[in-house]
Amino acid sequence: MILLVDMDAFFASVEQAHHPGLRGQPVIVCGDPERRGVVTAASYEARPFGVHAGMPLAQARRLCPQARYVEGNPEKYVSVSLALLDLYSGWTPLVEPFSVDEAFLGLAGTRHDDMEGARRVAGEIQRAIAARFSLPASIGAGPSKLVAKMAAALAKPGGIAVLDVEGFRTTFWPRPVRELWGVGEQTEKRLEALGIRTLGQLANAPAGVLADAFGVLGPQLRDAARGEDSTPLVPYWKGVDAKSMGHEVTLPEDEAEPRKLEGLMLRLCDQVARRMRQEGYVGRVVAVKLRDSRFRTRIRQRVLERHCDDPDVFYGVAMELFSRLWDGGPVRLLGVTAQQLSRAPGPRQAWVFSWQERSLRLRESVDQLRDRFGEASVVRAGALASRRRLKHVPFGAVRTARP
Amino acid sequence: MFESAQDAIEVLSVFTASGMEPLRFRWRGSVFRVVKLTGRWQRREGSALMHHFAVECQNGESFELCFDPRSSRWSLNRAWRNPEEGRA
Repeated sequence: MILLVDMDAFFASVEQAHHPGLRGQPVIVCGDPERRGVVTAASYEARPFGVHAGMPLAQARRLCPQARYVEGNPEKYVSVSLALLDLYSGWTPLVEPFSVDEAFLGLAGTRHDDMEGARRVAGEIQRAIAARFSLPASIGAGPSKLVAKMAAALAKPGGIAVLDVEGFRTTFWPRPVRELWGVGEQTEKRLEALGIRTLGQLANAPAGVLADAFGVLGPQLRDAARGEDSTPLVPYWKGVDAKSMGHEVTLPEDEAEPRKLEGLMLRLCDQVARRMRQEGYVGRVVAVKLRDSRFRTRIRQRVLERHCDDPDVFYGVAMELFSRLWDGGPVRLLGVTAQQLSRAPGPRQAWVFSWQERSLRLRESVDQLRDRFGEASVVRAGALASRRRLKHVPFGAVRTARP
Repeated sequence: MFESAQDAIEVLSVFTASGMEPLRFRWRGSVFRVVKLTGRWQRREGSALMHHFAVECQNGESFELCFDPRSSRWSLNRAWRNPEEGRA
């Protein structure tokens, strides 16, 4: 059996746990509440007002002006998340973090590897989380990650749902295909075009029809609708390599000043490259995301000649992409992502050109200074152009200590 | 309401099996007695490991404190004051 522990309104619940005055009140976690941004998390008390994560803060204020708006602290949430993983390891070594607020737990090889055992362990874990962290969690359990994940959705908030495959089919087959894990708006529309509206219809659809419409994904969708999933659980101590790393920032006000946008781009490239060097990755693709004042989002990416972790290379490519994306109008959001990551090679190669060697030595020296004195100890002069308006954006990578 | 700060404070703390815990502190001339440690977390700042604590004090007020091992100094980063004000 596999459990999915899903923390309820995690960031907002952490703030309510740490500050008892917030308990029982609508709490909205965001960036700087005095600036523009989006809702990062909304407590269950705020949700009846229609507030949800990702909503612009101004809209949330209109819907729920009485809420407590709390500036989020990502390092705090990651630290609590890591402490939760440590807690789970008291029941099983098979713990796979799925996101900052979700983790899969495998019960194979333990004496709890049946439905009753899973329900018992889920209850114990829920009580332990409440006792140690004062946090609510929903837990789903099933024979696969898919069933556990979808059972957890049934259990929200604060419940436990245990399903076998039969139970999964009884529960989900009458429901719309959108409730299947991984099915979004576009897939839902394409399925509807085939006359498939429920999970039961998807589970019994002809394989050929699905393969024609979705290619290799078609049979996988049908298997999933049948509650069949063989995705392995990968314990975190085995490690899973990252596929991409990126940072993006919503500007406090729409910005059209080229120098400030260039400065922000430099800062984002520096953050991404620094984090990659810290975690030992090099990237092959650079992507830039731009959202304008009319909420139009555009993304462009380019493949590099070779894998690298050099902020100067990232910046050069990012600015080229930015110049193609930007029409000179006000910008609301900018983001930079490195993709197709690989593990960085061990010993550094001998550089042909002396400027490459100098650049590498400079990066290493800056890394050493930041390791010792913190991320803001050395920053690029060009990144200071928007420093006052972007004081909510950290320089360099954010590091969180394991408890 | 929340108040952000970076104020140096004096703290009386104790070392327990689970680590250091603040017991009471002086902030802006007043002494606050910790009635419950509601959270703790750590953060790297360069080579230093900063220790953060969320504490509940008398009257339901709550605070976030930070201990910097490089200087052995404490600071108060966030305060939740007058919790009854504006309650639904």
